[in-house]
Amino acid sequence: MAKEKVIPLHMIPDVGSEVLQIDDERFLQTNEAMFTFFKRTKGEHSPFFLALKERKTILGGRCPECKIVRVPPFERYCPECNFVELKLIEMPDIGVMNSTPPITYFAHSLFQHQVPFGRGRVLLEGADTALPINVYTTKGVLTPRIFKKGTPVKVVFRDKRVGKPTDIFAVPLTELKAAQRKKRGLLESELDWASPKEPKVPKPTRKTKQDLNVVMDQLHNLARDAVKSARAQNDLAGWKRTIQVKTGGGPFVIQIARKKLKFQEGTVKKADFVMVVKDPRFFQDWMHFKDSLTNAIIADKLWISKNAEFTTVFKLDRIPRSLRRR
Amino acid sequence: MKEVAVVGAGITKCKGRWVERTYYGLSQMAVKAALEDACISVKDVDAVVYGIYNDIFELSAIPEHPLQGIIGMANKPGLRVTTGGATGAYAMLTGYSLVASGLYDVVMCLGVEKATDCFDFTSQTSTPEVIKTIGWSGDTYYERELGWTASDSYAEVVLAYMDEYPEDLADEVSAKITEILCQQAQNNPYAQRYGERVTAEMAMNSRYVVYPFKLLETCIYTEGAGAVIFASKDKSKAMCKNAGVPPIWITGLGASNEHHVAGKDLRHKLMHRIMSDHLAAQAAYKMAGIKDPIKEIQVIELHDAFIKQLQITMAEMGFTKLGRSDDLINEGLMTPGGSILVNPSGGLTYGGHFVGGSNMFSCWSARRELIQRELNRGLIHGTGSTIAQFGCVMIIERRS
Repeated sequence: MAKEKVIPLHMIPDVGSEVLQIDDERFLQTNEAMFTFFKRTKGEHSPFFLALKERKTILGGRCPECKIVRVPPFERYCPECNFVELKLIEMPDIGVMNSTPPITYFAHSLFQHQVPFGRGRVLLEGADTALPINVYTTKGVLTPRIFKKGTPVKVVFRDKRVGKPTDIFAVPLTELKAAQRKKRGLLESELDWASPKEPKVPKPTRKTKQDLNVVMDQLHNLARDAVKSARAQNDLAGWKRTIQVKTGGGPFVIQIARKKLKFQEGTVKKADFVMVVKDPRFFQDWMHFKDSLTNAIIADKLWISKNAEFTTVFKLDRIPRSLRRR
Repeated sequence: MKEVAVVGAGITKCKGRWVERTYYGLSQMAVKAALEDACISVKDVDAVVYGIYNDIFELSAIPEHPLQGIIGMANKPGLRVTTGGATGAYAMLTGYSLVASGLYDVVMCLGVEKATDCFDFTSQTSTPEVIKTIGWSGDTYYERELGWTASDSYAEVVLAYMDEYPEDLADEVSAKITEILCQQAQNNPYAQRYGERVTAEMAMNSRYVVYPFKLLETCIYTEGAGAVIFASKDKSKAMCKNAGVPPIWITGLGASNEHHVAGKDLRHKLMHRIMSDHLAAQAAYKMAGIKDPIKEIQVIELHDAFIKQLQITMAEMGFTKLGRSDDLINEGLMTPGGSILVNPSGGLTYGGHFVGGSNMFSCWSARRELIQRELNRGLIHGTGSTIAQFGCVMIIERRS
């Protein structure tokens, strides 16, 4: 198996240039990169990261004078006490969220594969500062209702650790069994990551079938309009996906290929991912910019089978707005 | 200290991408506009302060070095200021200090930024690469690798505020502010979203970028430049007489940078507060002799990275109470005809956000409002860095 690169190879463009024409003038642009490789020392931060990697332990820094406990120990000396040296201490791996953590739905290329993800801060028991940490749920898609200020959490360790802040993450304490809560150095492989079950949609009725027919007509129009819109064409460029959509009015398929959208009633043998929504009329709201796929997922109105396909969701969400701005 | 006046200002059009101009060309455009506005020659300028936020955007570790000669300032002093989103405000604080100290008589503050040359070849769009580039601004030991972005960083503060004040920051209010800012941008021909119509309903229904920030309630990426010229009292009198505009005096300045780590008390960041804005505003009010900002300030150009942050900042600066920022709309404080004119330029959300020069853009607009509407006092605000760590406030006045 190929080793992971610090810059993923697929992100690196070819050497090249192109000419853009604006108001009869020609302008040149070239493919370039600003890159520097590092062997970066972790210096005074080394004990913290080595403790994560080698001992599955979280360290804090305690000031012998003002007694403040800083986690992580991001400084060696206490600036409040004339820079007296801090003492490293082992911290508990249980605490509470310092505040409600944000959840990122639109990430840049280095993190796109893991959206949605949460980045919060945990006040470990006995700490005065909050440890920055990714937060996850073992129960499916991450939504804003899972973590709040004060939510009890446990720090879990990755099976493979390299001495980075991503060696650990936090999960709600309520998702763990008693033995897991007690265990020091709990590993991710010891958690139950059972996939969420695909929600069932009600059987189509005459009414919901009619709703879907109306929606399909409008989706066909949207596909035709997208071909005429430079913005929409740009949104879809370089993307190819087959999406199986299941609704209470029956199934349909969305295909994205060659800058085009295609909507077709029925099912497909192999889809890149599945969307489930009870009411097919949701897509009317989406087309008319009254709702978005992203927001519907956050509100539990829409379910998707793969978190990683949020990238596709974003591309689709841009289409109605691009058509409006045409 | 010497008295300092703003005697000229000029900006480029705010665009999502300037294919036709590099940051060299944008700088020349803004400088030319500012000099023409002040009716002076570049020979009259003693020193320049550059506001350029991010080396990577300009693809240079000393991005200001080629500008010195290009803008006609060869053989004169020039220094760059970079403080994240607050770069422009801090550059103006520096420019003010150079004149107020008596070291120079006329100083130009030039803010410029490219952004969308950054390009993600995988998705074939700029935005993810712009976010990634800004992502190098977070703490690189403990946070960047967790997915730190400017948006999720400010969202942390807003969510923590919502933990404390769950009844405030209603989505309907943020959406209404968005609609107002878009409307106001239509009075600014340089605005990036000039000609665009965004309603409260559209803002409400736009998708989340980072919860609780929605796409249409988030600042845009802009390329552009802005220049403002500060002069001492003696110089400004002659210059303004020649230009036929009143000098706009800088009467208050304040700045504050918080700790970058969250904690339980003020020795570290209190996540639900933007103390940087609060402390910066208080210092600026004290210097300007302002006792009641609501009654004494008529126009604000506030760094609205996100609409909900605008609301919190307004509360931190004393225009409403913490926990009551929805009053900005519900009590009509910033609705058309209300007691305070907020972001007549459209702000950074609808006007434009070329980071290093965004606050010069704000200064350009606030000065324009004081002159054209014959208002007395304005406030210019900049925020930046992780978890709204940096804050800077400048008070300007037109004396009748």
